[in-house]
Amino acid sequence: MGVVRILPVLAMASAVLIAPTPSVAQSEVKVGLIAPMSGPWARQGDLMVKGANLAIDDINKAGGIKSLGGAKLKLMVFDAGDSVEKAKNAAQRMVAQEPDLIGATGAWLSSFTLGVTEVTERVELPVLTLSYSDQITARGFKFVFQTSPTGGAQSVSTLPALVRMAEAATGKKPASVAIISDNTAAPMSFAKPMREGGIEKLGMKLPVDEIFTPPLSDCTPLIQKVRSSRPDFLLLLPTAISDDKLCLEKMHEFGLGRGRVPVISNGAHIGAPDLLKNLGKDLLEGVMTVVANWGAKGQDDIIKSFVAATGEPWITQDSISTYGDMMIFKEALEKAGVADRRKVAEAIRAMDTTTGPAHYFPGNRIKFDENGRRVGADVVIVQWQNGVPLTVYPPTSAVAEPIWPKK
Amino acid sequence: MTDWQWFIIDILQAFAAGLLVGGTYGLMCVGLGIIFGVMRVVNFAHGDFMMLGMYAAYYLVTGFGVLAFLGPYVAPIVGALLAGPIVFAIGWVLHRFLIANVTGARVVSAEAEGHYAQIILTLGIALVLANGGLILFGSLPISVQTPLSRESWAIGEVLLNKARTVSFFIAVAVAILLYMFLTRTSLGKALRAAADNPIAAAYVGVDVDRAHRLAFGLGVGITAIAGGLIASSQSFQPYIGFDFVIVMYAGVVLGGMGSILGAFWGGLTIGLVQQMSTLVLPYQLQNTAIFVVFLLIIFFRPQGMFGRVWERT
Repeated sequence: MGVVRILPVLAMASAVLIAPTPSVAQSEVKVGLIAPMSGPWARQGDLMVKGANLAIDDINKAGGIKSLGGAKLKLMVFDAGDSVEKAKNAAQRMVAQEPDLIGATGAWLSSFTLGVTEVTERVELPVLTLSYSDQITARGFKFVFQTSPTGGAQSVSTLPALVRMAEAATGKKPASVAIISDNTAAPMSFAKPMREGGIEKLGMKLPVDEIFTPPLSDCTPLIQKVRSSRPDFLLLLPTAISDDKLCLEKMHEFGLGRGRVPVISNGAHIGAPDLLKNLGKDLLEGVMTVVANWGAKGQDDIIKSFVAATGEPWITQDSISTYGDMMIFKEALEKAGVADRRKVAEAIRAMDTTTGPAHYFPGNRIKFDENGRRVGADVVIVQWQNGVPLTVYPPTSAVAEPIWPKK
Repeated sequence: MTDWQWFIIDILQAFAAGLLVGGTYGLMCVGLGIIFGVMRVVNFAHGDFMMLGMYAAYYLVTGFGVLAFLGPYVAPIVGALLAGPIVFAIGWVLHRFLIANVTGARVVSAEAEGHYAQIILTLGIALVLANGGLILFGSLPISVQTPLSRESWAIGEVLLNKARTVSFFIAVAVAILLYMFLTRTSLGKALRAAADNPIAAAYVGVDVDRAHRLAFGLGVGITAIAGGLIASSQSFQPYIGFDFVIVMYAGVVLGGMGSILGAFWGGLTIGLVQQMSTLVLPYQLQNTAIFVVFLLIIFFRPQGMFGRVWERT
């Protein structure tokens, strides 16, 4: 056989090898989820996976991505582990092993998200995150989208709301507040505006301001400081359930529990079912937490299907936000019409909707500003009432009235 | 109450917390002290054996509820004590089939007395235990439920957490019993001889392998009791071992290599420094303070608080 005869065959073969494989690309679209699946935050990663799986089931059952000929979404899970180093390594593995990912969600702990997005930004992979730290979207990155209000923004809108709540219940403005926080990125972000004048501006004193490195071995000296200074309320800001347990039990032991010193926390772990198992409902009664998302008024359908599918007693921020993230990716893919990460990022940037995925986020709007922060993202305050963490703020989402101890 | 009175109470409260936390640290360190301080086996999996002790106590008390009939006050204590024999058995088996290959008489002439192989092997065991725990027990943080952890005895204005106080006294009792076993019984003496000089011990008829196995089982079993006691106060998950292993090694070295009582004092000192440093230093520097004190003690007494002079750290 002459060279001339072979050439067309070679050309055809190379065309087959080089050309994109539309049938594969359109039958399956991969989305990443990078979160702690091992280590002290593994439970939060697990809740994120449950939310993502439910969303993907719902999307695929409803016919997949229509603009891609009904392509099914496929979740690729990566373990961020228990340190920033491991999270970053996982991100490197994710982008190397799965070059056809169209986007990802993660990485729960703000410190991890900061590390992970350094990797994903380089390969222009859009990442949706529920992490709180202001730093995440203050670095000029173009492919990070923060669905939660930043820690700083949360603190700015929370403190006046808490003061109003206290004033309405007790008839007088609180005069002092204590802060106990761990030194991970989210609580530091949350407490920063308060420490830098926010509390003073509201005419309150800050007699106790302690920062610890998690995990705690014992909480006695910390809570002793609260006991000796008796603030009007305590902002208790750990991120690990083990620290929540130590501090709340110590509050009870020192006679400060059950609302004698009202406790307000930050983050979804305080409303997790696991804390109820570790502490019991008596010790949690009245404890509040400020979160970016929670099961709220008008979300009965998703809450019911989540409970039925997972066996969890209620839906937390980690699950509903990740459910919403999958819906954002679906919407973006529909708009982009192609399973390409850059086009998906463009579609997310251009998104401005109050329907579809917006239903799963407080404020009911999906639009990101030039930094990647969600416009109109508002905080949700959740309070333990009779063994269940219920949304009590904002009034538009609340399923119960907030209870502030009158003592 | 005046600010000064509160200040005195703050000091006393931190001292009490340090003492009570330190007691359990002390027991953990005693467990590691037998393995690392006496047998000179580097055991990176020690924290993970403690984790097994925590889960053993949890399943006996809360999970399967085998001890539930003893009530919420007694069951956690019995559960913690029973965790010891359970983990002792696991340690015995692991030593028999794995660790014996890199310890004892057969590695006396090996490079660095087999420490390199011990590090790699025990690190591997640590990873298997932690990840196996994750598969078996799940990632949910759990704890042994008892009212002891949220109640206290009051001495004036100073409050002593019941769970920690009970743990402290059990830790002291177990450490004393172990000390008596090692110094007063022939088995204990054989065990120390096998650890000090395996070849000479073999010449005088000591079954060195068996003695090492017993010492290893005892070491991990005692640390498991400490883990079982902590499980009432603190929630845990399969990765908790790593949080404690550094404290344990620091305690053993601080107390003095080869000294069981020294290991207990080392753990106690760490607890006291950890809690009392918060009175003068930012809370974030709690663990830094431990190592500053550690370095100071090692600087002035290289053999540790109770170590033999020739056994410098």
